[in-house]
Amino acid sequence: MADIRRNFTTITIVLIPVAIAINIAVGQLIYAAKIPLYLDTIGTILVGVLAGPWAGALTGLVSNLVWGLSGLNVTYAPFAAVAAIIGLLAGLFAEARWLRSWWKAILAGLITGLVAAAISAPISAYVWGGVTGSGTDVIVAMFRGFGLGVLPSTFAQGISSDPLDKAISFLLVWLIVRALPMRFLARFPGASKTTD
Amino acid sequence: MISLQGVTYSYPGTSSPALRDLSLEIPRGQFCAVIGPNGAGKTTLAYILAGFIPHFYHGSLQGEVNVEGKNAATMPQRELLRLVGLILQNPFNQISGTKVTVQDEIAFGLENLGIPREEMVARVAAAMELVGVSELAERSPLGLSGGQMQRVAIASVLVMQPAILVLDEPTSQLDPVGSREVFQAVREMASSGQMTVIMIEHKVEWVAAFADRAIALVDGALLADGEPRHVLAIDTVWRAGVGQTRYTLAARRLQELGKWQDGKRLPVTLDEATLTFKAFQKRR
Amino acid sequence: MAEVFGLYKQRASFIHGLHPLTKLAVSGFFLLAGLSLPGMWSTYLLVIFGLLPLAFLSRLLLELVSRTGRIVLPFMISVFLIQGILWSGGTPLIEVGPISFKQEGVQFAIASSGRILIVVGSFLWFALTTRPDQLMLALAERGLPSSLSYLIVSSIQIVPRFQARANTILDAQRSRGLEIAGSIFQRARAVLPLVAPLILSSLIDVEERALAIEVRGFNYPGPKTSYREIAQAAWEPMLQRFLLLAMAGTLILSIVLRLVS
Repeated sequence: MADIRRNFTTITIVLIPVAIAINIAVGQLIYAAKIPLYLDTIGTILVGVLAGPWAGALTGLVSNLVWGLSGLNVTYAPFAAVAAIIGLLAGLFAEARWLRSWWKAILAGLITGLVAAAISAPISAYVWGGVTGSGTDVIVAMFRGFGLGVLPSTFAQGISSDPLDKAISFLLVWLIVRALPMRFLARFPGASKTTD
Repeated sequence: MISLQGVTYSYPGTSSPALRDLSLEIPRGQFCAVIGPNGAGKTTLAYILAGFIPHFYHGSLQGEVNVEGKNAATMPQRELLRLVGLILQNPFNQISGTKVTVQDEIAFGLENLGIPREEMVARVAAAMELVGVSELAERSPLGLSGGQMQRVAIASVLVMQPAILVLDEPTSQLDPVGSREVFQAVREMASSGQMTVIMIEHKVEWVAAFADRAIALVDGALLADGEPRHVLAIDTVWRAGVGQTRYTLAARRLQELGKWQDGKRLPVTLDEATLTFKAFQKRR
Repeated sequence: MAEVFGLYKQRASFIHGLHPLTKLAVSGFFLLAGLSLPGMWSTYLLVIFGLLPLAFLSRLLLELVSRTGRIVLPFMISVFLIQGILWSGGTPLIEVGPISFKQEGVQFAIASSGRILIVVGSFLWFALTTRPDQLMLALAERGLPSSLSYLIVSSIQIVPRFQARANTILDAQRSRGLEIAGSIFQRARAVLPLVAPLILSSLIDVEERALAIEVRGFNYPGPKTSYREIAQAAWEPMLQRFLLLAMAGTLILSIVLRLVS
């Protein structure tokens, strides 16, 4: 894993708030269009890919705190650790050169989604009683009806949405990195590992 | 005092240089405008003076850049930033976002330099006064208009008291009133002899009215250098795509109509135009 | 101004004048106690005897109650319905026709609701009474790196600008006749192509923003000073230390109580 200090140049420190703003702006756009995805970790994944796993983790952590502090979605704050791991994994997958091809990017997204669902489930079960207070609770109800426990049902709900969401997010990041000018990419340590 | 000797620079991954063999000397206290069409290398010159080339943008820099007698390329950037202040085009990008009032925003640079609080308070107040944002002191910097934001950005750099102020099209987002305020403030700073000003600017009428000197760049090379009223009257400068003042434009129309005395210099400022056109009228 | 401040609500209250770290310690205590203490009702006691009186003193009682309620109610309804009714093998408590609320499920729902309440309530109380920039200043005085405080405050402040940008794009699409309606796939086809340009245009700013803070000595070596001073009453550091001790105590107590029961 890259040296922590190399992850944080001035340009990375400036990129992170912009990435957080991207998380929130895109997340709300998707929500407003009533598309059953979140896409609210694209900025986090992008930072992980461009600036390394530690920068990605920090972006996720701060992002969820900012969702809370800005009053947009307080219920995200307890999931800060999950968001941090998403950013960390994005960085690690990029370091392993998985962001070079689109299908590996999708695979990385699926794995990240699985991990995210697995860590969210206990937090969700303990802090939120296993529900989200939204439409996806139908899935939780269904699994509870089948006789599954609180934790497995919550995990099942996560599995039904997170991997797909993260696969699309990773694919979008793969696209964005390709659309960025070389001069911009050259500012970041991770750039050489994402392009051919 | 700034001096450039044979400066040639290419951005990384590019083959044609953004600046070609540029040599210049700018004495202390001068208000020097840099004019030229887009892509002429004006912003590159600004970045070289501020040390972002070669510290931030790598690429190949040849020749020598001296700022206040020291080599800018080898001087540590922390030293250079106390000598040279830089104002950029987009006001929003210059607001740090970490401060919730205008006065706190202006103090940001001083905090970073470790200036004691009492001194900061006095310097912030003086800088706000100079660019006319005192009445905005308690407003949120992100809630201002573009022009107000740009003046806050200027105050934020001025407050650090650099010896040299480089402004990269600072009035591109300002209305005429805002532009005049910026030019007047910059003129005063230069006239007080405390600051050398290099301003990249498209608004040639303001340049003609306020600047001591105009440097015209085309394709990264020096095309003309001298008093604005001389430089702006030169045919090749105008043909290279640098704007011209409405007075020069009027005289050129007369020239096209064959009513201009051959070899007679074209007027650039209002005063010159008044004199020339009066004489013109009399002669008729 | 409220827009760029996040949740912060200015009030002439004694609580608003407190040092940010004091408020951070108070809400941290509620959070930790609420999440760790066993028993169905402990969180409700914390809300009634801790959070609500503090909200009253902050002159934000109604604000806090309505904001918390709006967030917490959907969760509570979901948790009571799902866990109350679908608790497998539980003891029926109330029967309504073919469905019945199970005792274990209802107890789980009560405990969960309490935790949701204390987590959301203490977070909101803190955010409503504390200016983010002052919090960061206070943390910087305790050694938080300036780059971290830059991250957090500038994120909170630039988010509304980017949201506005997203809305502009959405409106532009609508006015061009692109319907953000129809089936999921139609909606996705209308919105997803907007996402990449939105992100790319935002990233263009990054370079200039980095230059702008560099010019202002963001990386200047040596100690930084601060323009603002945060007032702190003499007793506040003592209270902060006491709250930290109380947190440790509560944690130990919770572990012991769980081991005993």
